Amino acid sequence: MSIPLLELRNITKVFRIGGGLGLFSTRTIKAVDSVSFTMPADKPVIVALVGESGSGKTTIARMILGLLKPTSGDILYRGRSVSQWLKENRLEYYKEVQPIFQDPYSIYNPFYRIDRVLKMTIRKFKLASSEQEAEKMIVEAMREVGLRPEDLLGRYPHQLSGGERQRFMLVRILLIKPRLIVADEPVSMIDVSLRAIFLDHLLSLRDKLGTSCLYITHDLNTASYVADSIIVLCHGRVVEDGSANEVISDPLHPYTKLLLTSLPVPDPRQRWGEEIDLSTLETFEKIKAEKGCVFHARCPYATDECRERAPPLIEAKPGRRVACFLYTS
Amino acid sequence: MKFKVEASGLRDKLSSFLATAKGSKRFVTGLMLLFVIAGLAVFEPVINAVRLGGRKPVEIGLFERGLPPSLEHPLGTDMLGRDVLALVLVGLRYSLMVGMMAGGIATIIGMVLGISSSYLGGRIDVVLNSITNGILILPTLPLLMAIVAYVRMDMLLVSLTLAVFTWPWSARTIRAQVLSLKERPYIMLAKVTNLSDLEIVFKELLVGLIPYIVASFSFSVIGTIMAETALRMIGLGPAEIPTLGFLLGWAMTYGALAQGFYTLVLAPAVLLVLIFVALNLVNTGLDEVFNPRLKKITGL
Amino acid sequence: MKSLLQVKDLKVYYKSIWGDFKSVDGVTFEVYENEVFGIAGESGCGKSSLVDGILRLVAPPGYIAGGEVIFEGVDLLKIPEKELRRIRWTKLAYIPQGAMNSLNPVIRIEEQIIDAILDHKQMSKRKSRQLALSALKSVGLPVEVMQMYPHELSGGMKQRVIIAMAIALKPRLVVADEPTTALDVVIQRGILQLLRRLKEDYGMTVIMVSHDMAAHAQVADRIAIMYAGKIVEIGFVYDVFEDPLHPYTKGLISAIPSIGRKYVKGIPGLPPSPLNWPAGCRFHPRCTYATDVCRSVEPPMREVSPGHFVSCHLYGEKA
Repeated sequence: MSIPLLELRNITKVFRIGGGLGLFSTRTIKAVDSVSFTMPADKPVIVALVGESGSGKTTIARMILGLLKPTSGDILYRGRSVSQWLKENRLEYYKEVQPIFQDPYSIYNPFYRIDRVLKMTIRKFKLASSEQEAEKMIVEAMREVGLRPEDLLGRYPHQLSGGERQRFMLVRILLIKPRLIVADEPVSMIDVSLRAIFLDHLLSLRDKLGTSCLYITHDLNTASYVADSIIVLCHGRVVEDGSANEVISDPLHPYTKLLLTSLPVPDPRQRWGEEIDLSTLETFEKIKAEKGCVFHARCPYATDECRERAPPLIEAKPGRRVACFLYTS
Repeated sequence: MKFKVEASGLRDKLSSFLATAKGSKRFVTGLMLLFVIAGLAVFEPVINAVRLGGRKPVEIGLFERGLPPSLEHPLGTDMLGRDVLALVLVGLRYSLMVGMMAGGIATIIGMVLGISSSYLGGRIDVVLNSITNGILILPTLPLLMAIVAYVRMDMLLVSLTLAVFTWPWSARTIRAQVLSLKERPYIMLAKVTNLSDLEIVFKELLVGLIPYIVASFSFSVIGTIMAETALRMIGLGPAEIPTLGFLLGWAMTYGALAQGFYTLVLAPAVLLVLIFVALNLVNTGLDEVFNPRLKKITGL
Repeated sequence: MKSLLQVKDLKVYYKSIWGDFKSVDGVTFEVYENEVFGIAGESGCGKSSLVDGILRLVAPPGYIAGGEVIFEGVDLLKIPEKELRRIRWTKLAYIPQGAMNSLNPVIRIEEQIIDAILDHKQMSKRKSRQLALSALKSVGLPVEVMQMYPHELSGGMKQRVIIAMAIALKPRLVVADEPTTALDVVIQRGILQLLRRLKEDYGMTVIMVSHDMAAHAQVADRIAIMYAGKIVEIGFVYDVFEDPLHPYTKGLISAIPSIGRKYVKGIPGLPPSPLNWPAGCRFHPRCTYATDVCRSVEPPMREVSPGHFVSCHLYGEKA
């Protein structure tokens, strides 16, 4: 059994909220609750981490990127814990693991031109030995992503469109050529018509450069377009995972089913049937209940057991895990 | 084709800032007023040397006592035979020196503590923030009075003392801004590009703090001059540092108003107000300059 | 179908040192009573400026360069400000983009709704409270929300509060600009269905502006496609999706990633700049069917089949 590229073992993250800058309060919020999954090293894959806001997906991204420390559990990259990487081989870690963030505007420091991001990257990762070489690399990478260097270089972030800014991030990725991209909602803030173009780049990075990607999103439409496998997150817990085709064509967990039926289909003939009852969706309690299944408050199949105990994540079918009492026999 | 991959944004940001700044009447007015005031203060030795023929302005009995305003003495003379204009110019110079030194020290302390506190977060933030808030709650004036009354002061010490009570304002403003900036994705991007914390603070954060630093500095200058004036009105503070406040305090003590030496009281007061007005105009003008620009930049 | 709003040749320009940004450059369409009318287009096509123009919210450096906006027989662009204020909120309500984030964080929801009501119509505080309560009820929010603060509510709840504010005085027309951005997919569905309910249960007319074609497919009755400051196609939503006429519409629809769609194709090229719209048909630089006439002559809007209009030279000869 080879060492996986990325492994999360029982990752939990608890935030303290409340007074005294959070150090004197006892109210906590468990953003991530015992999450475990792996990404293989033998072949490049795109794994979609799907969840709505509050699911903990961004927190997981930050922990993988070393921007946040888990409260408990381990994140292993190529078998070594991320904290070890950061302590001893920080530069090497970031040469292999890089993010793509959601908001195309705030990823740039508005006071500087956009080239600065690239120049800084080249300098810090020692990707070029001279300024000419650096320029050459930048121009090549830009062309590969479909951006025109003569139009964009030397400009400020606000002078580019959202789609261009987001694609510019891909230029940075192409320069570094990481082994793993952690993409946090990379297309949710650009026009729908531009999303496919961006996602195609992720696919080509996988196919041509062997780059794996953890694609974090709340949108199953785009997840189905790029992902090889899907992990569904709800309130900080994994509720289902498996290959993308199977999870979408045969969803097991009621939450996955809800997500799928709520997708707007671009066909007026396929409108949503019944109306969704919004009152069951929203809970005033921002701090979720400690016991029971994470979804029981919104689940049409919830039983008393669901309210009392949290269902374990079990392999209901080969290669497919689900955390739901409907599937425990 | 040679592409401009040069990424030094600051120079161009400065020139485009100046271009936009010209549009803000407040900023321009305030700045011009400041230049005039500062000019007077800077050239005071020259002006006074020329007008008084090399004699010191504080020298008693240079001229006739109690002369009304005239061409030779635009603000008249006081009861000790000193030219009021000369006195006021000296006072302006010292006021500005103390204000800028104290304001500068306060701003620097505020910056260092404000940035470290919010950027490093955690316990350091709690401790530093509590100290900052603690000093804010302290009754500044009585403490200042106590210190100044009992300790022999020179310019530096006066500035330091005043600064110690003024830095919390800068620290709070800057801390708040850093807290908002440090969660921005571009900071996170800098971290994953392996920039060290110091590099991030200096290269990424500082640039976004400039308007707040300038604002802090203006407030600190105003605050320290006001505090100094307050102390002077009660008669405290070193006499070797004849600030406008000193002049005012001295004039009130000697009953200048009652005796009809209006200029002696009005001139320092008006100048003090002008300093505050100029600094405030620059401050609010900067706000006008930065905010509509931001709106134009982001608000599409 | 009775017409409620007629926009005729509306132009909204923005002054700048490089010239005028012609964000809305001659837009004409009609909205009927009791329908959901969708305005679709990518970022930069001018849809937000169009809404600003219709509601007369254009602020300098923008200005209305021409056209009429006839609402219930009255040209909104020409009436005095006082009369416009009386119409706003009572007959015509607006839900701006990102409104849910501009709720005042230190004032309770109840007061914010009441303030909005009293700002536009005189009445007793008691009556305004009743209206606020009934508005909250119609969007499915419980009474407890009245006493809460915005930060205690989730994104979807905040958006529903905004919708409640907008419909409190039971307007005839509600204009919603990107009502579902930044909301989770399940909540998006809820909000979109709510907008549809405004039409079905409360007889309101809804204009929904969004770049999300799938959202329009789910809730709109008719849809207008906007590109480069102009409307290029209008029609019933079934017709436009089933049989898109304009090449841009075809491109938009086929660019949507959707489950089951393996082949998704984007539209090549980039949207043009409002400073310098292309001559002739504005889409010609990106259009695979472009011919010489497209490059020089702007195509007029023609009715190709009942209720289905398009502005494209491909449909020249049809009556």
